[in-house]
Amino acid sequence: MRRSLASNILLAFSITFLVLLIGLPFWWVLSGSFKLPQEIIARVPTMFPHSFTLQHFGKLLSGSDYPVYMANSLIVAGLSTVITLVLAVPAAYAFFRLAFPGREMLYRAILLAYAFPSIVVLIPLFGMFARIGLIDTLAALVIINVTFALPFSIWMLRSFFASVPKEIEEAAVMDGAPPTVILRRIMIPLVTPGIASVGIFAFISAWTEYVFASVLIVSDARRTVPVGFSGIIGQYQIDWGLLLAGAGLAVLPVVILFALVGRWFVSGLTEGAVK
Amino acid sequence: MPKSQALAIAFVAPALLVLAAILGWPLVSAVLLSLQDVKTIGSQGQWIGFQNYAGVISNPAFWRSVAMSVAWVVANAVIQTVLALVAALTLHQNFPGVKIARTWIILTWIVPTVVVVIIWRWLFSTSGGMINPLLMQTGIVERPVGFFSTPWTAMATLIFINSWRWFPFIALMMLAGLTRIPSDLYEAARIDGANGWKRFTRITWPLLAPTLSVLAIVGTLLSFNVFDIIWLLTAGGPAGGTRTLPVMIYETAFKGYRLSEAATISVFATILLMVFALAATRLLAREGENR
Amino acid sequence: MKKHLLGLFAGAALLPLNAFAAPVEITLWHMEQPPHRVQRIQEIIDAFNAAHPEIVVKQEPQNWGEVYAKAPAAISAGAGPDMLFAIPDFTPILKDIGALTSVKDFVDELDKKHDFVDSTVQSYSYDGGVWAVPLYNMAMNLWYRKSVFDAAGLKVPETWTDWKAAAEKLSTDGVYGIGVPANKQLYTDQTIYSVMVNGGATEIYNEDGSLRFNNPQTIAAYDYYAGLQKLSPPDSTSWTWGEAEACFVSKSCGMIMQFSVISSYDTQGGGEPNDLGVAPIPHADGESGHNTIAYANAVMLLSKDEAKRKASEEFVRYLLEPETYGKFLNMEPGLFMPVTADGASAASFWDDPMAQKYKSQIETVIANAQNGRLFGFTSGRTFPSIAAISAQNIVAETLQSMVVGGQSAAEAVAAGQERMVEVSK
Repeated sequence: MRRSLASNILLAFSITFLVLLIGLPFWWVLSGSFKLPQEIIARVPTMFPHSFTLQHFGKLLSGSDYPVYMANSLIVAGLSTVITLVLAVPAAYAFFRLAFPGREMLYRAILLAYAFPSIVVLIPLFGMFARIGLIDTLAALVIINVTFALPFSIWMLRSFFASVPKEIEEAAVMDGAPPTVILRRIMIPLVTPGIASVGIFAFISAWTEYVFASVLIVSDARRTVPVGFSGIIGQYQIDWGLLLAGAGLAVLPVVILFALVGRWFVSGLTEGAVK
Repeated sequence: MPKSQALAIAFVAPALLVLAAILGWPLVSAVLLSLQDVKTIGSQGQWIGFQNYAGVISNPAFWRSVAMSVAWVVANAVIQTVLALVAALTLHQNFPGVKIARTWIILTWIVPTVVVVIIWRWLFSTSGGMINPLLMQTGIVERPVGFFSTPWTAMATLIFINSWRWFPFIALMMLAGLTRIPSDLYEAARIDGANGWKRFTRITWPLLAPTLSVLAIVGTLLSFNVFDIIWLLTAGGPAGGTRTLPVMIYETAFKGYRLSEAATISVFATILLMVFALAATRLLAREGENR
Repeated sequence: MKKHLLGLFAGAALLPLNAFAAPVEITLWHMEQPPHRVQRIQEIIDAFNAAHPEIVVKQEPQNWGEVYAKAPAAISAGAGPDMLFAIPDFTPILKDIGALTSVKDFVDELDKKHDFVDSTVQSYSYDGGVWAVPLYNMAMNLWYRKSVFDAAGLKVPETWTDWKAAAEKLSTDGVYGIGVPANKQLYTDQTIYSVMVNGGATEIYNEDGSLRFNNPQTIAAYDYYAGLQKLSPPDSTSWTWGEAEACFVSKSCGMIMQFSVISSYDTQGGGEPNDLGVAPIPHADGESGHNTIAYANAVMLLSKDEAKRKASEEFVRYLLEPETYGKFLNMEPGLFMPVTADGASAASFWDDPMAQKYKSQIETVIANAQNGRLFGFTSGRTFPSIAAISAQNIVAETLQSMVVGGQSAAEAVAAGQERMVEVSK
């Protein structure tokens, strides 16, 4: 496709705009985390660091349990993803294809659950989890994250199923394959990109969750990255260097993850498509 | 077909049970709580009927928060849609590096909100931040701007930050809609001599509209529930200028120690959101039938 | 099969770690979260644990922002700590839900041995009991740079008139004469009250527990404070302690009110110890003598279990021993002041390298702290409603109605008193 000069200029302009909008803050954070404290708080900030130090990272790793937070976050996000998919894939397929009483009503109800103000359940949930001994466990966070990721995941997966050409499925039905086999042998392989996207959605939601993790977890050894990070913000002093280093380290694992699976997420989203 | 029904129920039940247990039961207990006068978690309350409801309805601060939430949702929807549309249209073009851009545009969304908060709190601060010196060097302002110092600017800044975090996600969903538009439509339009703007208004926009309306609903629900960014950056201030409903609920429960009142506001918030969601899905379903 | 293994692994990873060990295990929650403070507390805990094989102390740093929600919830869920650091207005909340028992006898025992500063015990004495053991004091001071004052030909301000004049003089291109916060947050409560106590507006309550916040002295103090705030950076409406310190350390603010800036001044400001000036908060022109706000931080003993309670007491005893006490206080040099007579002269306090380096400043801070007051805890007029008033930062909210909402001092203070009455219900 050839473009006119005007649209090329427009394109260049919008690319620059987007790169600055997204990239600049991250560049500032990244470069800031290597600057000496005096340079960070200097009244005239520097675009490129004039100094170089690893002291903030050293302080961060020696003074806090960052690796522990990281491991907790990975466990919580990983398990949340797996459980979300295990629950959402069959449910989405049933809502898409199988007939059962109250299907439409239940599907609506799930969409409504998506509209739920999550803060509402914080208080009652605390009491509930306390009674069954889930306070201060990673399991509590997994349950929460799965719950909040489920409605969106079912909704998205259902539309991925809907995008599979009817003929393929019909052929399988003609051959007399039961729904379980159709789902496992035909539908799941066909919507793999969609499943990947939903999985990544669940992972990121769990990875970034803060409010519940901050209240339901009490001990340092079970904190996730967002909560551990909010801990180093400090209330009496702001050590920007430490914070920027912390920000960098909190972003790093997801960046690595995304470098590996990011393509899946995007192609899943764009190919499967949301209807 | 009892057998296939049983199977369907087996497929659906686990997910539904989780939702019912974790959302349904707490909702019931929130309603029960709203009918009592419990102050702190762990203390006992008396049953007082609908007194809390009367109190909340007659509280001007509650209605201010409702208005604030509506403003927050609408402004976020508009800004995110505009930014996301620009991004989606850009990423739909072919240019060197577009594949990488399509993956990494999502960077703002994969960062924990707490980190987003710190990044922007630093960038916007008047001591050490990057934005103010930049604005002053380019001569846009003369004196540093206190981005969180008035209700209006604080709200605008928060909306910007939240939109910054979410627009790439929305953009990718839009991109999905864009890629589904058959390219021969554009070819035909080109042969008919339609210019870029015409092609956008005649083909892209109408065909993207269904995706956009779904996203509008999703986005509304998502941004209504945003709490952590607001709480960590302004705590609803200054002077209550950014106290949306979720913030008010949290503040009432945990700073004001009026748990039952907070539960009452929660019930109102839930009703509000449910009515919106119901109406919106109805509307969508009808549109779907017409198509 | 694979699934089962995964399940097992997950189960193992998710189970709460139950302690079945013989020694008494006790947990300490505190809000001293910066890494170097956590590290210092850990060193003390390690030493204690080594000396007391029958007790194992663990620390779990918490955040002030969350602890108000978390502590009552965790305690009522049976997941609370055995010891929890407190400020005076946090204690009534936990007392309300029945989490506290009086520690009067224990405090008396410690008082005999170490001699507490009386005001620190007073902040926790009401309703016929003592509800926490004082641990350290914090008092608000005025910080400046001597070289900056000299260059501007300024003397250390004594009165409000001097102070305002100095702030105006220091306001030059790119520098704010003073940085005072106007956020609806604890720090602003503290700075305003520091001005109020220097303008004769010490008491918030009458003797009968009715509110007397709305009085001419309070209004004058707010009016004066709002004038200072005009000379502060525009984002001071969202400041907490950290931003004020950053402003001072980066030389963007000529003066700030703060408990201590020593450690950030030393690590980030790269300044000379001799150049750092600290003074008492100036007083209103008619008044004489300087006052300030002082926070007696304390530890609450929450455990109902006899053995754990005894163990907690043992740990507190250990903390207040002069040999350990100074080490504990110096987790943030210049911030935490001793609350005991033998602590104030303890070698462990003064031998710390930072305490040596900033000796004169720390001496001034300790002297200033002698005249410390805390709103709602003055003259024995302590009433439970102070918890709600401070938790919702109504003192600071009142200032915001002026600074952000554009009300006059009289209007704002009147509305502030109404809010206080409302939340006291």
